[in-house]
Amino acid sequence: MAKNSEPIDLLQGTLDLLILKALQYQPMHGFGISIRIRQMSDEVLQVEQGSLYPALYRLEDRGWIKAEWGTSENNRRARFYELTAAGRKQLEAETNTWRRLSAAINLVLEGT
Amino acid sequence: MRFSRKIRAFFRKGELEAEMADEMRAHLELLEEENRRRGMAAEEAHYAALRSFGGLEQVKEQARDQSSVRWLEDFLRDLRFAWRELIKSPGFSLLAVVTLALGIGVNSAMFTVLDGIILRPLPYPGLERIDRFFRATPQNPDGDFSPADFRDLKQGIAPYGDVAAYRAGEASLSEPGQPAEMATAFRIDSNLFPLLGVKPQLGRTFRPAEDVHGNDRVVILSQRVWQNRFGGRADIIGHVVRIDGEPHEIVGVMPASFNDWRHFGGIDFFRPLGLTNEQAADRHATFLRVLGRRSGQVTAPEAAAFVDNFGARLARDFPAENAGTAWHVASLQSLVAGDNGPATLALLIGLSGCVLLIACSNLANLLLARTMTRAREFAIRAALGASRLQLLRPLIAESVLLAFAGGACAILVAQWFGDWLTLRSTADNGEQAVFTLDLRVFLWTLGASVVTAIVVGVAPALFALRLDLHGTLKSGARGTIGGRHHQRFRRILIVGQFAIAMVLLAGAALFIRSLNEINHRRAGWDSTHLVSGSVLLSPAKYATADMIESFQRQAVQRLEALPGVASASVSSFTPYFGWPDAQKFAIAGRPPPPRGQEPVAAINRVSPHYFETVGTRLLAGRGFVGQDDAQAPRVLVINQAMARGLFGGENPVGRRLVLLDGTAQTTAEIVGMATDVVSVVPEMKPVSWQIYQPIAQAPRPRCEVCVRTADIAPATVIDSIRATVAGLDPDLPVRNLKTADDTIDRANYQEAVLRDMLSSFALLGLGLASLGIYGVIARAVSQRTGEFAIRLALGASIRDITRLVLLDGVKQALLGSSLGLIGAIGVAQFFVASWPGMHFSSLPVLVGTTLLLILVALLACWLPSRRAGRVDAMVALRAE
Repeated sequence: MAKNSEPIDLLQGTLDLLILKALQYQPMHGFGISIRIRQMSDEVLQVEQGSLYPALYRLEDRGWIKAEWGTSENNRRARFYELTAAGRKQLEAETNTWRRLSAAINLVLEGT
Repeated sequence: MRFSRKIRAFFRKGELEAEMADEMRAHLELLEEENRRRGMAAEEAHYAALRSFGGLEQVKEQARDQSSVRWLEDFLRDLRFAWRELIKSPGFSLLAVVTLALGIGVNSAMFTVLDGIILRPLPYPGLERIDRFFRATPQNPDGDFSPADFRDLKQGIAPYGDVAAYRAGEASLSEPGQPAEMATAFRIDSNLFPLLGVKPQLGRTFRPAEDVHGNDRVVILSQRVWQNRFGGRADIIGHVVRIDGEPHEIVGVMPASFNDWRHFGGIDFFRPLGLTNEQAADRHATFLRVLGRRSGQVTAPEAAAFVDNFGARLARDFPAENAGTAWHVASLQSLVAGDNGPATLALLIGLSGCVLLIACSNLANLLLARTMTRAREFAIRAALGASRLQLLRPLIAESVLLAFAGGACAILVAQWFGDWLTLRSTADNGEQAVFTLDLRVFLWTLGASVVTAIVVGVAPALFALRLDLHGTLKSGARGTIGGRHHQRFRRILIVGQFAIAMVLLAGAALFIRSLNEINHRRAGWDSTHLVSGSVLLSPAKYATADMIESFQRQAVQRLEALPGVASASVSSFTPYFGWPDAQKFAIAGRPPPPRGQEPVAAINRVSPHYFETVGTRLLAGRGFVGQDDAQAPRVLVINQAMARGLFGGENPVGRRLVLLDGTAQTTAEIVGMATDVVSVVPEMKPVSWQIYQPIAQAPRPRCEVCVRTADIAPATVIDSIRATVAGLDPDLPVRNLKTADDTIDRANYQEAVLRDMLSSFALLGLGLASLGIYGVIARAVSQRTGEFAIRLALGASIRDITRLVLLDGVKQALLGSSLGLIGAIGVAQFFVASWPGMHFSSLPVLVGTTLLLILVALLACWLPSRRAGRVDAMVALRAE
């Protein structure tokens, strides 16, 4: 991904995928997820809190992630989200869909 | 997390809210901390964190919206809100709930009746494979079978399945120390109960050996008789009772579940068929009813074809008895409703549906009026950004709440109605048609309530959606508006109510009139001062024709000697109801008609003073006298319709008829002509052909005793009649000893129930419609106050205003009635097609109903129009 100082807006529907991906290896709290997405995208993708929490609650309602109270790195109470089995499947499915979509878009853009 | 989040979200909302707040706070603190790490001052870090987080409450609200139980929470909140709103206007709510309770209640009750009569299966396992067999003759499409035909059928039945026969009848039941009672007693084939798949609750069913005459002194009681007459005693098996004067051993008691009033529930006890060898070989007398159970592989069409073929074969093999007959089967369950059952139910359901429609349109109107007074509230909500759905939800919640409250009350109405119907339909012997509410009625009521809520909620909802925001807010504090489209909607409601009320009233009135006419029909006889009762002479005690004749002669002599009695008679039938005995005959001296095509007349065997006693006039010749006995030449009296049919205008006296009974032929001379007798039972033909024969020349063990009193009330001689008969034979009960009018009322109780139901529907419908029409017109007038004030100010007189309002109302009433007339004529045609024996006088009823509705419209307009005329122009205009 090209480095750019301006953060860009997230595409509609990609936030769920990013959250699931961020949670792939370890449980995290909401703040951690937003940091992780920013880091993973080399500071390009900024997740607004206004969209993060509705998305987290939505994913939880669908049973893809579950939350438990734990202690954060600074010894504070925080809600940690982790992937459920259904969430892992969903991540795989969405990743595949995204790969196909972006490959197709690339083909279109790079075609002559 | 033990709890599923969804359930927690619903039931532990507070807990979840707190968690959400905690989570957001934790996030903010982390942001703040990071800001501090980047070198911000504590305060700056705090505000920067808040800024970057965005609106805390908005985020929370968006997060809440993600919950899939959110709609339920919203709905419950809407319901709570609707509840508060309804409580605030108790008058409106009460009116709405009562309207709905009556509308839905009547329909639930109708569903109970439908369920109790048609839908509920008879209590036999594998019911769908049980058929009733019929042997149609030219006279009777649902005729019965002779024992010999049944024997042949039983031998060849294997391709179909299995059959069993039974025989309807009555018998006297007596025990030492108790008065004898006449009871409905069927004689059944030992195979009948096994075929139906029913078992007695005590004792056993009949054994094949008991089918034979001489071994048949055993009896199985119905649960009802066991309870009512024997007090439900447990040691009943083996007990001996006297039936028709003969000792019989009780071998079984049927269970209560067998007591289905639509089939064998009216039977008091059962005895074995007990045919003598001679009877069993007889092909002429047809008295056996036949039920069959199809075996597994046989389909209904195959069974029908088999039975049809079998009947055709017997008609070919035995033309003397069976020429012109055709056999057919019908599933037992399809027969329970009776011939007119489906049409009657269609009538009742249609009319009760009309009541519901009127109730619905009243309610729609009420809700609409309510919504209109709240137009400003809706306009403000819409202006503040409420979506259409958010505008509609409280309205729908209100309708749902009203519908459920109405539905709950409707269950009470239906329950009360079912109890009333059960009470009304209790017969003399304690037999009851039971109508109970069950789960299906509950579900039906629930369904009706929900559908009503949706239908009724739509009208105000549509109005709310079409709300003209700008206009409503501008129209200031008046709160109500009268836009053109809901004026039109209101007109449609009024016209529709008139139309439905017309169909309902005309339908009910037509039917009630026709029932009353039949019920009060006494053509050719006279029911005043007449008492009658049935007597059945047991074959054991009255073995010969002489004994029967002598008993009947003595009874009449003693009855006529009673003080206050003008005359007395015995006869096989009374004139009240049709005579079921059909007599084939030929005219002596004319070529005999081909077999199976002989003319038929109803026949009644009567004693000498019968004509005076029942009040049937003789138009020519003479009646019967004591000398017309078994030794004398055979004589007959025929009615006028028959004389005209056979001999044209000629006097029939002196002509001779040949009575055909199988192979036996009796020639008899016509000695008199009687006036036509029309019974209270609907009949296909206007007047049937009727023959009277002296009872002494054809003695029958079963007879009706009739007594005409001179000038005292007929009911006063009932006890002395009973005592007189008991004086001749203490074992002999007189059944249904009542005045003629009481007997007719009892026999027509179903019609009376029907009449009461129709009257209550019609009254209810008319009441609701009047209320609705009044409400709508009153509201319309109050909204036009400003207009009237301007008219008055411009010089219109009070009479002009009154006329304006009245004319408007009458116009709508006329339009509605005309539309309803089309429906009412359709209903009248349905009646004529479904009850061919009844006469419907449509014209006076339709004219009367239209006039009544116009009267209602005038009344409904008159009150508001007076108010309109009294408008004070200045006050009304200043209020603008």
